[in-house]
Amino acid sequence: MAAGFIDFAITWRAKVYADAPQASSAEDFGTLGITFFARKPLNEQERDDYLARQLCELPARVEDA
Amino acid sequence: MGIQEPEQTVLDIEELRGAIQQEYDLVAREPERGFHFHTGRPLARMLDYEDAWLEGVPEDSIASFAGTGNPFRLGPMLPGEHVVDVGSGAGLDSLIASRMVGPRGNVIGLDMTPAMLARARQSAAASAQQNVEFRDGYAEELPVPDGWADVIISNGVLNLAPDKAAALGEMQRVPKPGGRLQIADILVQKPVPASAKRKIDLWTG
Repeated sequence: MAAGFIDFAITWRAKVYADAPQASSAEDFGTLGITFFARKPLNEQERDDYLARQLCELPARVEDA
Repeated sequence: MGIQEPEQTVLDIEELRGAIQQEYDLVAREPERGFHFHTGRPLARMLDYEDAWLEGVPEDSIASFAGTGNPFRLGPMLPGEHVVDVGSGAGLDSLIASRMVGPRGNVIGLDMTPAMLARARQSAAASAQQNVEFRDGYAEELPVPDGWADVIISNGVLNLAPDKAAALGEMQRVPKPGGRLQIADILVQKPVPASAKRKIDLWTG
């Protein structure tokens, strides 16, 4: 994740603007309320280990036949 | 055929902040007015705030609550922890956090809207919560020392920060190593054209 955080996860999402008293442009852009968690790494080693795990989890590229 | 230059997003930051302050000044002073977002106790219920968290919180802080989620659903604040609430508004989340961290903990709420700060300070005084203070400030320039916080919470504020990279940079500077971000905000699922980003009324409504 940008700015050097680890363990980033969006844990909840909902249409929090639905039925609000005034009309909103939020619906036009599919706006949802969310919660997200992230953590500042304890040290560079933890950050590097986390980034390495993320890279390993990227799906392998499959070339067109 | 020429290459089309990407549209520049040029915003008058002071004008934007002024419009946001005007909107949230109204939320502080006239929360029953009705906005393009939900407010108050009905919103807190919608977002699964527990009744026990709201008990003893002055009604003014509950009435002007205007969050987009529930940072405490990501985990409680622990006794003795230091918490920063970015965009603390009328103080509901800060006051809840201050009770979670207890007398050995501390909470700093910051907001840029004077009427919201006034509500939050009145509520803290009325509920005799001495481990919480409210400071005037911007998300991009948190008035908090490096490495002070165990947790940063925020609720519906990051989307209003004109310089999100700077705000995230501050959220990286202020926590201790291992510190947590427990953030509620909004997610836009459709692309927002640069022309729309320049419209200040879209930021506030």
